[in-house]
Amino acid sequence: MSAEATPGTRARVSSGAAEAWTAASRFAVVALMLLVIFVVFSVTQADFLTSSNIQNLLSSVSILFVISIGMTFVVLTGGIDLSVGSLLALSGLVLSKLFNGVGLPIVLAVLVTIAAGALIGGFVNGVLIGRVGLSFFVVTLGTLSLYRGIVNIWSGTKTTYINSSLMNDIGFRHVLGLPVPIWIMIVVYLVAFVVLRWTYFGRDVYAVGGNIEAARLSGINVPRTLMLVYAIAGLAAAIGGIVQAARLGASSPLVGDSTPLDAAAAVLLGGTSFLGGVGGVTGTAAAVLFIGTLQNGLSIAGVSSFWQQVVTGAILIVAISIDRIQRDPGRFRRVVAGGGHGPTSTSEPDGEET
Amino acid sequence: MTDSLLLEAEGLYKRYGGVRALSGASLAVRAGEVHALVGENGSGKSTLLKIISGLLRPDAGSISLAGEHVDFRSPTDALRHGIATVTQETTLAPDLSVAENVFLGHRMARRAGVIDWGATRRTALTALRRLGLELDPSLPVRRLRTDQRQMVEIARALSMDARVLILDEPTSSLTEDEVDSLFRAVRALREQGVATIFVSHRLKEVYELADHITVLRDGETVGSGPANAIDRSKLIQLMVGRDLVEALPSAAADTGNPAALRVRGLSLDGALDDVDLDVAPGEIVGLAGLLGAGRSELLEALFGLRRPGAGTIEVHGEEARLRSPRDAIRCGLALVPADRKLQGLVLRMTVRENLVMAATSSTARVLPPRTSTELPLVSGAIESMQIRAQSPRAAVGTLSGGNQQKVVLGKWLATKPRVLMLDEPTRGVDVGAKAEIYRLLFDAAEAGVAILVSSSENPELLTLCDRVVVLFRGRISATLARDEATEARIAHFAGGHA
Repeated sequence: MSAEATPGTRARVSSGAAEAWTAASRFAVVALMLLVIFVVFSVTQADFLTSSNIQNLLSSVSILFVISIGMTFVVLTGGIDLSVGSLLALSGLVLSKLFNGVGLPIVLAVLVTIAAGALIGGFVNGVLIGRVGLSFFVVTLGTLSLYRGIVNIWSGTKTTYINSSLMNDIGFRHVLGLPVPIWIMIVVYLVAFVVLRWTYFGRDVYAVGGNIEAARLSGINVPRTLMLVYAIAGLAAAIGGIVQAARLGASSPLVGDSTPLDAAAAVLLGGTSFLGGVGGVTGTAAAVLFIGTLQNGLSIAGVSSFWQQVVTGAILIVAISIDRIQRDPGRFRRVVAGGGHGPTSTSEPDGEET
Repeated sequence: MTDSLLLEAEGLYKRYGGVRALSGASLAVRAGEVHALVGENGSGKSTLLKIISGLLRPDAGSISLAGEHVDFRSPTDALRHGIATVTQETTLAPDLSVAENVFLGHRMARRAGVIDWGATRRTALTALRRLGLELDPSLPVRRLRTDQRQMVEIARALSMDARVLILDEPTSSLTEDEVDSLFRAVRALREQGVATIFVSHRLKEVYELADHITVLRDGETVGSGPANAIDRSKLIQLMVGRDLVEALPSAAADTGNPAALRVRGLSLDGALDDVDLDVAPGEIVGLAGLLGAGRSELLEALFGLRRPGAGTIEVHGEEARLRSPRDAIRCGLALVPADRKLQGLVLRMTVRENLVMAATSSTARVLPPRTSTELPLVSGAIESMQIRAQSPRAAVGTLSGGNQQKVVLGKWLATKPRVLMLDEPTRGVDVGAKAEIYRLLFDAAEAGVAILVSSSENPELLTLCDRVVVLFRGRISATLARDEATEARIAHFAGGHA
C-alpha cells in the first residue's frame, strides 16, 4: 500500500501516463534496436534507404507480420499455434483449387479461403483446446502435421500457377503510392489493435491469459474466447497464404515451414509473455519490422544467407537479454556474479517473467 | 532465553516503483525467542521478511547477525547464514519421501559415492523427533496432513542448521489440533535456542505463542516489546493506528419473506448428501464445518461449478439450472471464492477491469467498454469500499491483500446479486480490513441481498450470521439460530456429534 495515501484516498481517475509507459516499455528495447539498425544500415549501405528498398522490405515481411499479429492473440491467452505455417500452405492450395479447379470467380475464391482459414482454426484447434480442453501444444503440433500432409497429398507436391489480375494486384500493385501488401499489414495491425484495446473480447483475451480460473468464475465464456483466438490465428494464416500466393503467382506446398517459430519469436521479442495476459500487437509489429530490417540490411551488405541465419539468431538472443536486463538490472549483476536464481527486485509484487 | 541479540535489522527502506513498502522498519530478535511480527496487510511484513530471507535487497538499512554485518545476495546465501523460511505455500516435492524432502536442496548421506538411504532416513527421523513428530521417513509427502508437511519443511530448515526460522502465516491452513502440534514443535525449538519469527493474523495465536511482539504500520516499526507488556487493545491500536469499533452492528433478519435461495435434497457424489437449505432476502446464513465437510462443494454446486447428482436449487421461486458460472450469474448468484489470487482476480489487470469483470460478462463482446458506464461503477466501489489504490488503472496485484479482497467483493456486488455466497471471506486479511468487509456484508444484507458465508473461523460466523448451518461429512448436522450458536456448540456439531 502506498504509504503516502491517506486512509480512504479517492483514487485518481485520470493520468495514465505512468501506466502507458509501463506498457510501452515492454517493447521499448526492440523499438529502439529497430531504430538503431535502421540508422546504421541507412548510413553504411547506400542502397538501403531508398523508397523501393523500403517498400520491398515491408512487402517481404508482410506475410510474417500478418501471421504474427494473429499469433499474438493466441499467445496472450497463454497458448501457441504451431499449425499456422501448414495452414498458410493449405490456404494457398484451397485458393488455387477454388479458382483453377472449381472455377469460382477470384474475388469469391479469396473470400471463401479467408473464411475457411478462420473456420478451420476455430473449429479444429479452437474446439479441441477451448471446449475439449486438450493441451494447445499437442493439438497444434498435431494439426501442423495433419494440414501439411493434406497439402502434400492434395497438391501432389506440385506448384500450381494462379493466373489472375486480382492476385497480381494483391501482390504488387501500388495504391496511394504503397504496394497492397503494406496496406494489408497496416489494416490488419489497426484492426487487431482496436479489437484488443477497445472491445470486451479484447479484455477477455487478457483475462483468460492472466488467470483462466478467475475469468471462468467471473462469467467470461472461456471456451468461446479460446475458439475465437484460434479462429483469428487461422484467419491471419489464410490472409498470409493469399498474400504469399499473390507474390509467388502460384500456390506452393513448400511454403510456411519455419513460419510458426518465426512468428512465435516475433511475438516474444515484442514483449508478449508466453505465460499469457501481458503484451500486445504493437510490440509484435515492431519485432517483425526489426527482424525484416535486419535481414534486408544484411542482404544488401552482401552477407550470405547462412551467415544471416547466424547473425539473426545471435541478435535475437542479445535483444531478449537487453530487454530482460533493462526490466531488472539487479538480476543481470547477480547472474554475472554467478548468483543464478538470485533475488528479484521487479516492481511487480507477484513478478514472474516469461 | 539469553539476552544477546541474534538478528538485528535497522532502518530498512524499500520502494516498489512509486509505492513505499518500508520506510525505516527495524526488528531485533534474540536467540531462543518466539518473535511475533504483526501488522495489517500492506504494513510491510512480507517485504521485511523477504529482505531478511535474502529474497529482496533493501534500498537502505542494515542487517546484522550475531553482531556481524551481513548482506544477503540470495535466499541460498541467507540459508548459509542460518536463516530459513517456511512460507504459506509449501515447497515440498509431493511424490518424494519425507526423508528426501528433508534433504531437498542439500546433500544426502553418502557411502562410496552413492546415497546411503539407511543413514538418510535415520538423520531425517532425528530431525523430525526434534520437533516431537513420529513419522515414517519413507512415506511420500503427498500422504501427509498439512501440518505434517509444514513440520517436514521445518525439519528441512533445521537440518541445514537454521538459527533463525521464519514462519509466514503457518497456521492459515491448519485445523485447531494441527495448530497445537505446530506450536508444540515451535516451543521445542525455543528450548534448543532457535529463534522463530512468526507472522499471524490471529491475535489469539500471537498471545499463545510469542515471547516478544513487533508491530509494523505503513512500513515502519511502531512498537516492540515483550508479549505480556502489550495487551490486545493496545496491539490493535498500534496496528490500525486508531481505536477500532469492536462492537459491530447486527443485521436484522427479515425472515418473513420467501426464500431467496431454496435448496432441496442436494446430493453430490461423495461430497454432499441430501442437503436442504433456505436463505431469506436480507438474511446472513453461515456454513460451518471441518475441512472436507462439504462446505466448498456446496458453494461450488450452487455456482454451477459442480453438477449435483440429485436435488433442486431455486432462486426467488424459480428453478435454477446451473451448468456453469455464467448460468449462476444470470440467475443472480455470486461467489466470492476462497483464494483471491488463484480464483478471484486477474492480478496483472487493472483495478477497474477486475471490478467490472463479472458485471459486464454478458455484454456483447464486440462492444467497446464504455467509460461512461464503467467509471461510476468503479469510482463508486472504490469510494464506498475504501479501496486503497494509486489509481483505478493500477494493476490489482500491486494492492495489499485486504484491498485485493475488497476488489473481489466489489466485483461481485457490482453484479447486483440476489444471493451472495462467500468462501472464507477474510482469509489472510487483517483486523481493519476484516471489520470493513463485515460492514459491507451487513450493508448488502440491509439492502435485501441473501448472504451465505462459509468460514472455518467460528467467531467470524458468530459475528456475522443470523443462522449457522453446520455440516458434517456432507450432511447438515445442526442449524443454530443466532441466540443458540456458540463456538463450543458449532465445534460440537462439526465433529459429528448429534
